[in-house]
Amino acid sequence: MKLKMKKYVFPRLKDKRGGFLNFADYRNPAHKVGYGFIILLLLLFSFIALFPIVYLVASSLKADGEINSAVYSFWPRVWDWGRFGRIWNTIDLPRYYLNTFIYVIGAVVCAVVFNSLLAYAVAILKPFGYKVIDKVIFLGYMIPATLNILPLIREISDFGLLANSESILTFLPLWLSFGANAYYYMLFKDYFQRLPKSLIEAGSMDGAGHFQIFRRIVLPLSKPIMGIVAIFSMTAAYSDFLLPYLVLQNEKYKTLMVGIYNIGSAGDLLKPEEFLMLLVFSIIPQVIVFLIFQRQIMGAGVNKGSKE
Amino acid sequence: MIVPLLLFLFFVWYPMGRNLVLAFQDGYEDASFVGFQNFVDIFEDSSFLSAFKNTFLYIGWSLLIGYLVPVLLGFLLSEVIHAKGLFRVILYLPCMISGMAVVFLFNSMYGDGSQDLFNVIITHLGFQAHPWKGSTDLVIPLIVLAMTWKGAGSTALIYLSSFQSIDDSMYEAARMDGASARQRFFRITIPALRGTLLTLFVLQIISVFQVFYEPLVIGPNGGPLNASMSLMLLSYLYAFNDFEYGKSAATALVLALIIIAFTALYYLLDRFLKKKEAQ
Repeated sequence: MKLKMKKYVFPRLKDKRGGFLNFADYRNPAHKVGYGFIILLLLLFSFIALFPIVYLVASSLKADGEINSAVYSFWPRVWDWGRFGRIWNTIDLPRYYLNTFIYVIGAVVCAVVFNSLLAYAVAILKPFGYKVIDKVIFLGYMIPATLNILPLIREISDFGLLANSESILTFLPLWLSFGANAYYYMLFKDYFQRLPKSLIEAGSMDGAGHFQIFRRIVLPLSKPIMGIVAIFSMTAAYSDFLLPYLVLQNEKYKTLMVGIYNIGSAGDLLKPEEFLMLLVFSIIPQVIVFLIFQRQIMGAGVNKGSKE
Repeated sequence: MIVPLLLFLFFVWYPMGRNLVLAFQDGYEDASFVGFQNFVDIFEDSSFLSAFKNTFLYIGWSLLIGYLVPVLLGFLLSEVIHAKGLFRVILYLPCMISGMAVVFLFNSMYGDGSQDLFNVIITHLGFQAHPWKGSTDLVIPLIVLAMTWKGAGSTALIYLSSFQSIDDSMYEAARMDGASARQRFFRITIPALRGTLLTLFVLQIISVFQVFYEPLVIGPNGGPLNASMSLMLLSYLYAFNDFEYGKSAATALVLALIIIAFTALYYLLDRFLKKKEAQ
């Protein structure tokens, strides 16, 4: 294996070719000062972005009672590293993590499978009435799901899906809710419409059925978009609160977000610094996922708009 | 494709239709139609009226605090050449944290105790301690601040890509003609960004209508004195705290109509701008 070493070159303004200000502008000292402001502002915003996170971690490591002591210090006087282990056991974090993991896995599978199948049908098979279907799905994209949460919960309960609170099937409605996501559907549809038509036509000439074309031709070409939807649904399911809060009735299946809300709004179940430690625990998996997939997440974020 | 359609029917379309019907009924089961009575009721309810008023406060504050920050961030990221990737990762990091954790984190900073962060800072600077989220005037700007902290990074990336898609030769031609940086900014950069600015303006307004967790936790429940109540939260509280299903559905319908109106407005504007460009 050949190891490619990239020599780090410190970037210089006189090499900047493109953009609003380039090397020619930077010959002017006033613009060099302007670049100083750019760096300064970025440092300031980075500070604002990181400060609450640092504050959270620092406060969560303060020893018992320090948060309420008369003299405030930003950093803990005693770093109580042992709290990580104690919180892990007292509020049974492994169970919260496991439940969240179960939810996330099912949600990702449903999000990728069902939305892609529907998008394939609308974008490529174009059955009778596909334009109407597309329009009605778009309507669902505009109206936030939270607005119709009451009829949805009633319906889930009428179908007997709340009755399984003792088994893992209690997650079923939550998983399936990810199979009907207008945003993921539109991402898939957009992508499928841009696939070369000749490939699909070649497939049907060879006598392959619709399902075979999907599996043999469309799927292998669609790995990038599947990855994006998988990552989106993973973070969405991890952070999802309202539907799990209403559906998961049994204490032993509650997810991390539901646990945080229950503990946080009860107020006195945990000491303030312990609760902040719980928040730290909720952030850790997300930071790890972000560091692994940062390229995909930030690249795909561009298409995502500001909607959550 | 039948299965996914059934899922949409179950999770999206049926609840939507059921809510529409519910808005004109007096209960959930064995209900009778009551015409517009639910709408009359909510418009006589002081919680609804404050939620309605707050919606405009939320929009105003979020445009004031949150609209231009991502534009500036996108511009800075597109112009910087040192530690570009690092700045991008740091500024995006808050977007990865789940909404619930962000809300509780800011909730603890906004507390009214003398040891809560905001009070620590201002007493250090020599001011009086303040109730922060307990103050009816400050609770909405504080909520918007938390939303902006979480959301600005991902919006900034959208602006970053539109800044980067501006053709360098346009700038080059302007430089040849002796245009100053300010002229280039207002004649080239801003017009090139117009579409993105408009899209995100409307998207931001629509997403502000949906504020829910923040007043639920920070308020809490839309408090103090309904000062942070949003239509979304009120619709939820009508249904799950007061069991007034008709009022909940009527509120949801009002909100849905407002969102549809804004979306339609956006499409009209978008079409108008495109037509103008084509001319």
